[in-house]
Amino acid sequence: MEAVLLNYITQLTHEQLDTPLTVDDDLLGSGILDSIGMMKLVSFIETELSMVIPPEDILIENFMTVKHIITYLKTT
Amino acid sequence: MDFSWSTTQLAYKAKIISFAEANFSESFIKEDQEATFTRANWEKCAAFGLLGLSTTTAYGGATDKVDILTSTIAMEGLGYACKDNGLPFALNAQMWTVQYPILEFGSEAQKKKYLPKMCSGEWIGCHGLTEPNAGSDVFSMEMTATKVNGGYLLNGTKQHITMAPVADVFLIFAKTNPKLGAWGISVFIVDKNTKGLTIGKNRPKMGLRTVPFGNLTFKDCFIADTNRLGKEGAGWAITNSSLEYDRCTILAGQLGAMEKQLEDTIAFVKNRKQYNKPISQFQAISHRVADMRLRLETSRLLLQKVAWLKSEGKPATLESAMLKLQLSESFVASSLDAIRCNGGRGYITEHGVERDLRDAVGSIIYAGTSDIQKNIIAKLLGL
Ligand SMILES: Cc1cc2nc3c(=O)[nH]c(=O)nc-3n(C[C@H](O)[C@H](O)[C@H](O)COP(=O)(O)OP(=O)(O)OC[C@H]3O[C@@H](n4cnc5c(N)ncnc54)[C@H](O)[C@@H]3O)c2cc1C
Repeated sequence: MEAVLLNYITQLTHEQLDTPLTVDDDLLGSGILDSIGMMKLVSFIETELSMVIPPEDILIENFMTVKHIITYLKTT
Repeated sequence: MDFSWSTTQLAYKAKIISFAEANFSESFIKEDQEATFTRANWEKCAAFGLLGLSTTTAYGGATDKVDILTSTIAMEGLGYACKDNGLPFALNAQMWTVQYPILEFGSEAQKKKYLPKMCSGEWIGCHGLTEPNAGSDVFSMEMTATKVNGGYLLNGTKQHITMAPVADVFLIFAKTNPKLGAWGISVFIVDKNTKGLTIGKNRPKMGLRTVPFGNLTFKDCFIADTNRLGKEGAGWAITNSSLEYDRCTILAGQLGAMEKQLEDTIAFVKNRKQYNKPISQFQAISHRVADMRLRLETSRLLLQKVAWLKSEGKPATLESAMLKLQLSESFVASSLDAIRCNGGRGYITEHGVERDLRDAVGSIIYAGTSDIQKNIIAKLLGL
């Protein structure tokens, strides 16, 4: 799941990252993901990983880094 | 592919058209000129059950499950037969940007306290996001909610808020953690008589003049923890969860108005004679009407697609941006064409033709301007 997410988020940034994305990079505070990027990521997780993300869970504590996303998805 | 509506949905639309024709077929010219809101009309819609469309029966709503397709066709019917474009606009603003977020994110106590009274028309709700320095770039808002014992202190100003001057309940977005940008925004349910809240007077505007519109100022306004909607930082999710529903239904009202506008225009151009023949026989006129028909159709197809995607629980970010752009710009263009077809008659207030144009302009601004919709579309295309 980690590689799939890193790969998808890197694609979303249109390869504009200076260094390869890591699981600890701040996706939201650093602006790697803007509003539309976030919507696309949620939709990607729902369709490609067949998981349901309730709107009330779309919070920084669940989506700040790839590590946070994986921890959150494991608990759902 | 099946674009047909069920017989139940069509019967409901017909029922709404009859209701609106019986109650809202007067001209509304006086109310428009004087910028007056008629609460009795709001209450009639509530009594008919329209305000319950975005809420479930457990909280005073109309259905066991919110049904976006039925809501869309209902609003199309209301927009078609109600001579006041402001009324469907204002009903939808409350239903989808106040009631629906409370239904989706609210605690049991919040749902029980606020939803039945909004469905019944006893309380009016409004949605406060925009600020003097934060419009399109809304997440750069300056309003703060500072944590204190038992709640938060709200400080800041909201502007251009639909129904604010007459509202009883205010859904207010404020920064609980300014360092986190869009992710540090939380939402609060504020009651009308809360100390520190100042409700501005109605600010008359170009169109939708029967809908009050105003500013809100918060000065050390204490809101208890129990009145925070959702978790801290849920502001982004709350705005996004209702956006596509809001777009479908508000725009459905306009689609209904466009349909009526087309029918009225056709009737007029067939009847009006110049140079000894109906003006519909001049190609300049008939082509203009053809353009109006095409705009109606393309707008309707996009609307149905977004409503269908939402009814299937699917995302519709791209489609709803295209819908907002296409339908709102189409209503403006067709309203201008309707005036052109009517000639001087179209420009005179008493015929009710020019009002559509003034009402239509609001829709290319609110809920994301046309420029912003194009930005979203371009971004989703990877540009
Ligand atoms: C009828 C009506 C009802 C409304 N109701 C509500 C309500 O109930 N609650 C609420 O919170 N708000 C409400 N609003 C406010 C509305 O959401 C804002 O007016 C809207 O988001 C635009 O913000 P602004 O007016 O500050 O314009 P600005 O954001 O200052 O935009 C000015 C111009 O700059 C353009 N622009 C800005 N940024 C960009 C960009 N990145 N790219 C290209 N062009 C750009 C815009 O398209 C526009 O042409 C309402 C507005 C109207 C007209």
